[in-house]
Amino acid sequence: MKDNPLRIFGLFNRERFLANMNQTIFGIAAIVTFIAAWWGFSIYLNLAYVPSPDRVVWAFFTSFEKTEISLGTNMWGNILASLQRFGIGFVFALALALPVGLIMGFIKTADSFFKPLVELFRPIPPVAWVPIFLLIFGIFWGPVMVIFLGVFFPLLSNVIFGVKSVDQPLIDAARTMGANRITLFKKVIFPYTIPFIMTGITIGLGIGWMCIVAAEMIGAVGGGVGFYIFYSESIGRYEFMYAGMAVIAILGIGTVGVSHYVENKLNRRMGVK
Amino acid sequence: MTLIIENLVKKFPKEDTELTAIENFNLVVKNEEFVCILGPSGCGKTTILRIIAGLEQKTSGSIRLDEREITGPGQDRGMVFQEFALFPWRTVQKNVEFGLEIKKVPSEERKRIANEFITLVGLKGFENSYPYQLSGGMKQRVGIARALANDPEVLLMDEPFGALDAQTRNLMQKELLRIRQQTKKTIVFITHSVDEACFLADRVVVMTARPGAVKEIFVIDAPQPRDRASIEFANLRKRILAELEREVIAGPSSPSNSPEKA
Repeated sequence: MKDNPLRIFGLFNRERFLANMNQTIFGIAAIVTFIAAWWGFSIYLNLAYVPSPDRVVWAFFTSFEKTEISLGTNMWGNILASLQRFGIGFVFALALALPVGLIMGFIKTADSFFKPLVELFRPIPPVAWVPIFLLIFGIFWGPVMVIFLGVFFPLLSNVIFGVKSVDQPLIDAARTMGANRITLFKKVIFPYTIPFIMTGITIGLGIGWMCIVAAEMIGAVGGGVGFYIFYSESIGRYEFMYAGMAVIAILGIGTVGVSHYVENKLNRRMGVK
Repeated sequence: MTLIIENLVKKFPKEDTELTAIENFNLVVKNEEFVCILGPSGCGKTTILRIIAGLEQKTSGSIRLDEREITGPGQDRGMVFQEFALFPWRTVQKNVEFGLEIKKVPSEERKRIANEFITLVGLKGFENSYPYQLSGGMKQRVGIARALANDPEVLLMDEPFGALDAQTRNLMQKELLRIRQQTKKTIVFITHSVDEACFLADRVVVMTARPGAVKEIFVIDAPQPRDRASIEFANLRKRILAELEREVIAGPSSPSNSPEKA
């Protein structure tokens, strides 16, 4: 085959390069089109709540520099407050979904007991709990509990699914090598479930971010990005509202992206899926 | 070591009736013997092996390893699976060490034993590879090493080369004979390939269609290595194949017309 000599060394793969390039070009084209349309509309409509992209970009950077007097903090403080709530809710969800999911997957009676409860509460959107959670748990733990619910259910489902999808031959093999139920769980079922847990975490993170904004909009103390969005809208500073939305998008992309990266690495490493 | 199977019966519940999978299966496997169990698909040959392994419960009858009745899985019986059943998150080394970890063998000793068997199956240099990095034949070499590392008295192999391509399969058969010669293990080997049984076994047990029982036992005293192209080999194959074909054509008897034993 006559080909680029560099290809032999794996330095240049023409097909892959072109495929990647196509993807990049279309990606950039989509964003450029979106910004151009947005800009056009903002000029044409001339409405306060459709600020031009450059105003939003300006607001985005300003929000990090300038302390909002009534909130007593700048965007960094809001991010910190949101991340804190998010982190606590997330860790609690992980700490509960993991053991409950593993037990439900592994022990039939536990599954029969917990399943009706899970099926009863799962369909209720986490946000629907906001009012009552604020009342019961207060302005700090209320939003945290909403995040908790948002992360808990998708994570739980994935853990249970992981345990139930363990290959029977792996269990048989372990048993023929003398594994009892406890070693079976420790050495086969739990490691097998790890990639499924990671998938649950990725999904849970995405849903968690959706919940935090809603939770903070209703009530939050000590700032928060969701609260910031709501506040900016209420005082008519729409460009700052959009800046807050952009921050949420970046936080979401960031955490889900990291989680997705870890998930892919793990899947390859574990050879599962 | 002697493996004695007496009047083994296995029934499965099926809707409101019972399906008799195995009926009065009798077999004695002698020390260091290589026995192939051959039968039409669905005759219960894998079920027999799984009962010997302790992975399934028998309905009645007796299976004894020396004088001990088998009731569940144990390290005195090692098993090799058609699906390889390697732990994907463990390296070759760690897969082979699995049973030794359960036996609480100290780490240094584990390494030494694992290395010995990895070398035996010809995988030296692949200790730190993960299963997904190995070909099918290599995976099954790990499966064999892993089963042997526990030093079982009998090696149970459930169509171990069934998932391999023809060339790899032939190679693995030769490798198994070499490993057997070096380890002197007693082997019970399930297959549906007449050729494979003729090539490997000291005795070939041909089973009836469902409900499975021993139909005929062929003793093969041709010395190893056997020549697949020889007249003797062809004749043997022909005889066994004829016996087997009769069962395939007869097909499994349905639960309704199988003899009932209340």
